[in-house]
Amino acid sequence: MSSRFFRIFPLHLKALLIQYNQQPSKVLLEKLLSFKILIEKEVKVSRCVMGYQSLLIHLNEEINNLSWWKHRLNELQIKSEIKKIKINKGKLWKIPVCYDNKYAPDLLSLSKALKLEIDELIKIHTQTKYRIYFLGFLPGFLYLDGLDERLHFPRKVNPILNVPKGAVGIGGKQTGVYPNFSPGGWHLIGNTPISLFDIKQNPPCFASPGDWVSFTSIDQKTYNDLEKKNQKDKFKFLPYD
Amino acid sequence: MIEVIKQGIYTSVQDMGRFNYQSYGVPLSGALDQQSFRMANQILNNQPKAAALEITIKGPKIRFHQNTFITLTGAKIEAKINGLEINNYIPIEVLEGDILEMGITENGCRTYLGVAGGIKTEMVMESRSQFQGLTRKDRIYKKILLPIGKSTFTPLKGARISTPINDYSQKELEAYPGPEFDQLNQIQKKILLNSTFSLSNLNNRMAFRLKEKIKNKLSQIWTAPVIPGTLQCTPDGSLIILMRDSQVTGGYPRILQLNNKTINLLSQKKTDDKLYFKLLSRIE
Repeated sequence: MSSRFFRIFPLHLKALLIQYNQQPSKVLLEKLLSFKILIEKEVKVSRCVMGYQSLLIHLNEEINNLSWWKHRLNELQIKSEIKKIKINKGKLWKIPVCYDNKYAPDLLSLSKALKLEIDELIKIHTQTKYRIYFLGFLPGFLYLDGLDERLHFPRKVNPILNVPKGAVGIGGKQTGVYPNFSPGGWHLIGNTPISLFDIKQNPPCFASPGDWVSFTSIDQKTYNDLEKKNQKDKFKFLPYD
Repeated sequence: MIEVIKQGIYTSVQDMGRFNYQSYGVPLSGALDQQSFRMANQILNNQPKAAALEITIKGPKIRFHQNTFITLTGAKIEAKINGLEINNYIPIEVLEGDILEMGITENGCRTYLGVAGGIKTEMVMESRSQFQGLTRKDRIYKKILLPIGKSTFTPLKGARISTPINDYSQKELEAYPGPEFDQLNQIQKKILLNSTFSLSNLNNRMAFRLKEKIKNKLSQIWTAPVIPGTLQCTPDGSLIILMRDSQVTGGYPRILQLNNKTINLLSQKKTDDKLYFKLLSRIE
């Protein structure tokens, strides 16, 4: 007895996957967010992990009656649609990015491939408000939606092994920030001096699903100042409202 | 304190893992073979959360800077204290200045060195499990000192555990059908469930890749949650089993899901080891 919009799948003895069959969209994101809030409120779950179309619920107990769970979750889903659950309409985080050559090894080649002037490319990249769908891949990595079609470009065939911390990249239909050193296949066009993930903060990442991100172009001097502040833990990143 | 003289091949501090941070993209981590890890703490009367050293294939050489009790669980390993051989699965008293030297694991791949009171390295997000980018180091290196708890263990109090017979040679891996299992056609399912596979040399705490491939035309999925034990099938047919340090989301079809018992067994497998899957009925 799954809904016609989603199915409930036991991934593991203590984990239930709710998977929608709709394409990812802002509407679906908001459905997932309100469903998640209600589940966390009404079911004893240890945690919920999101994907583009799915929620993974880690239970505190083993599933010993799947149809009971299906029934319960269907009820909650309906409730989450009827009741106007207060969901995160989203704060806006303006992430400062330096697009100077030093931080942008692939900016020139990407601008040629996309047939855009570098300034134009940066302008498009900084004009968009991106929605955070969920976090994954690396601690503090934000899956962002909204990259302008003019900037869509396939990932590198051979990923590089040492993408620096804070690198801002474009790959496929996505843009984002590498929160730490990592291998990666995106084209690197800039770098942010602020940390997207900080083990000393609780929560460790300032942004959450449903929030918005935009990028602001900064020069080298501002980058250095922010970097210094960030290293001294004096930098408090606040949302822009 | 214990002092690391030689680090071994890949030795790291591990515990039960980091549970509450997956929604920030933080891997679960923790000992790969949770069963053997748990027993190390039981033998020493430790808290279940106490951290131990996870030893991979070749053990470290360490010096104790205080009196304590230790135990070795998991894969059998040649181990000597001041040159005298010691057994697995029993509490062993060590004195300040003693040197523990370990060789190669014999019947499996991972051995756990438990210490009375646990290893007390930094706690990051409710866990001491080492992970790059979270803890200061991703594993232990020679010359470092590891703080350990105070031993309150007395041999009489410890749980009497008879040495388990660990048969890590078992090739059968139990798995549930994964969310995208039914996107495989009958032939692909048959190949997946009736073939013997071998473990490639790409096996580490993040994932174990198999050597054999399964030709498929599965479409990639929208990035979705994955957990340790998820078997992913890539477009080129590679089969990748995610382990405890894996990412929390992935974009490849999830065709099987190993249970915890099977993850423990797999953690003891080495490159070239043979294995096959046994499909469990769906959870109901």
